[in-house]
Amino acid sequence: MASPTTIVGNIPFFGRMFAVDQSTGLEDINAWPALMIMTSFIWLAVAGLLGVVMPLVQFLDLGPLGPNLYYTALTGHGAALAFPFVFQLMVGVGLHRMGSCRGQPITGPIPALIYIFMNVGSLLLTVAILLGLKISLVVMYPLPVVGVQTGQWSMNVVILGFTGIALVLITMIILYPIQVIKMAFFGKARQELLLSPRSLQDPGMLGMLMAAFVLLIAGIPLLIVASTVLGYLYGIVPPSLVGWAAEPVVFQFVFFIFAHNLMEAMALMVISAVYATLPLYLADGTSKLYSERLARIALWILLLTSLTSFFHHFITLFPNLPAALAYHGNIMSFGTGVGSALSIFTILATIWKHGLRPAPGLMAILLGFVLYILDGASAIVTSNVAWSFQLHGTMWQSGHTMTVLVSMALMWMGVLYHHYPVITGRQIDEQLGNLFVKLCAVGCVGAAVVMLAGGAAGMPRRFADWGQGGWMGYGTLILIFGLILGIAYVVYAMSLYRSQALATASSN
Amino acid sequence: MLDFLYLNGWGAMLMVLFLFIPFLIIFVYVVYKKSTGQGSADSASSGLSTVEWVWMALVLVVFVGVNVISISYMPTVQTARAAVDEANIQQVNITAGSWFYDISTPKVINGSNRTVEVGPVRFSGKSSDTMHSFAIYSPDGDVLFTMMLMPGLKGPTSIVYTFDKPGTYTVRCLEYCGINHHNMRDQLIVVAGNN
Repeated sequence: MASPTTIVGNIPFFGRMFAVDQSTGLEDINAWPALMIMTSFIWLAVAGLLGVVMPLVQFLDLGPLGPNLYYTALTGHGAALAFPFVFQLMVGVGLHRMGSCRGQPITGPIPALIYIFMNVGSLLLTVAILLGLKISLVVMYPLPVVGVQTGQWSMNVVILGFTGIALVLITMIILYPIQVIKMAFFGKARQELLLSPRSLQDPGMLGMLMAAFVLLIAGIPLLIVASTVLGYLYGIVPPSLVGWAAEPVVFQFVFFIFAHNLMEAMALMVISAVYATLPLYLADGTSKLYSERLARIALWILLLTSLTSFFHHFITLFPNLPAALAYHGNIMSFGTGVGSALSIFTILATIWKHGLRPAPGLMAILLGFVLYILDGASAIVTSNVAWSFQLHGTMWQSGHTMTVLVSMALMWMGVLYHHYPVITGRQIDEQLGNLFVKLCAVGCVGAAVVMLAGGAAGMPRRFADWGQGGWMGYGTLILIFGLILGIAYVVYAMSLYRSQALATASSN
Repeated sequence: MLDFLYLNGWGAMLMVLFLFIPFLIIFVYVVYKKSTGQGSADSASSGLSTVEWVWMALVLVVFVGVNVISISYMPTVQTARAAVDEANIQQVNITAGSWFYDISTPKVINGSNRTVEVGPVRFSGKSSDTMHSFAIYSPDGDVLFTMMLMPGLKGPTSIVYTFDKPGTYTVRCLEYCGINHHNMRDQLIVVAGNN
């Protein structure tokens, strides 16, 4: 099998962006992350194209083909954006961070399996979607089966799609957490890989570890249920044993226990990465957060409150979701806001106390954090029981999902700017980096606000006829801001493509 | 003002802006000020621990206030209150399927079985196949409420909503349910009482 470094080197355009520096002896912490990060950007290109298709289809009168294309793009866009782009980017940058902070190599079978399962799984799911499986990002169980019964797609594409989903789930729930736990607790640190030593109590590392445990614990029930259903589809599990798992309420609850906590785990990881990166850009060179204690408390509050706040997904199921659990979800969701408020204070107090040395990577991180707070505000508002009954199922929720994914991706892209010289031995084009941040600010904030406003106006999410309720104006603005965001990502890619060797960059 | 805030999607939008804009202003101010050559340690940093407590107290007061005030606007609470006067509640049963609503109202008014009178109505809904929802839009296009309808549950999803204006209300499914999801809609006519 070719090494990850060789694979990256052989890929046109994207390979040029992430070619691994082989002169430093750091390939053991750079190679797999570089391949994962490069592949995540290929998926971003796929997700971006599908994302533009959605509003475009709404403007063109394509007859019955229109809704078909729209729902195909909807499912493909969401799946590509959430898993092989954002999650894989996070895994790539996160493992590189973990490796350089713990002196642990990212080698052996687990990183290879993470890469193969995530990308083969995503590819199978994409093929199933192109063959007709239109189930949206959240599967909408039991829609996959009902779709077969109503002739919308075939059972074969359901099996293909579920196989892909299973591989992706195994990556997120088993393989990635095991790799992080292995690097955190086992194996001897190799001094030559130890670039920035951090203890597990360091706020810059604590969130990484918390996230791994959250994924493992919150994901196992879904893996058991999904495996049982898939086993039945393959003919391995007899019909008498699948009934409990095939219950919509069982599947929906285990799905959202995981899906909700997946987002929270990703937030824990990225906030941790922000805590680690921000001090490196302080003007007075202290390299310290305002308060590590406060940063740790913020992470713990976020962890503890987020675990059971998933009930807010089911508030409108009342009284099948007892009111007490709806109120619990409401309160815990605002509890995550308390954790975020502590993060806001820690970050602002750090900047206030020590000053800031602006760089494109740091500015991308801070912009991502601003978006994360905008998203957090929209999330806690829609988790309030009174507002949930008016906003659930509207474009508000799509705006929330899009914003949380884009904000986390943006923070990781900023963190990647910081680690880029270590991985590739090159320095990004700073002018393009700054332009990326500016374009992203317009595109991200604009798209988020318009989607939330569309939801406030009653615009349904996952809906192929925006003209029906006079929502086309919001659709036009979503397209415009989406295109600006797309241009921003192209500029980001160019800032990496036009990077220069470190020696050349410093002489310039 | 509170009715607008808690009974309208734009009220929710206003709340998001209320929470976000002050943060944005302070964040941009601090980042701009500290990244433009004024980056040395600040003499005011010694007072940060006081600011920390004030900030957290402010956040808690706002969060608690927003939620406590919202209690009387929660459909769960309103449903419990309305149940006290059960005799006056009109019962509407809904069964959702791909892609239709089977709606039964207590009586046929003006030849329509999609009609209720102004006043409290209990909506009880089930799904016969996949996930659907039952969302009612006011004649002005605002979402009044939505109920998630999940198949396989023993009891229906159910809330009481009190109509105070006659008119034609649109019903839509807000849970994606397949390739004809956008055409899953119906209507409910609300007429003045004593018909």
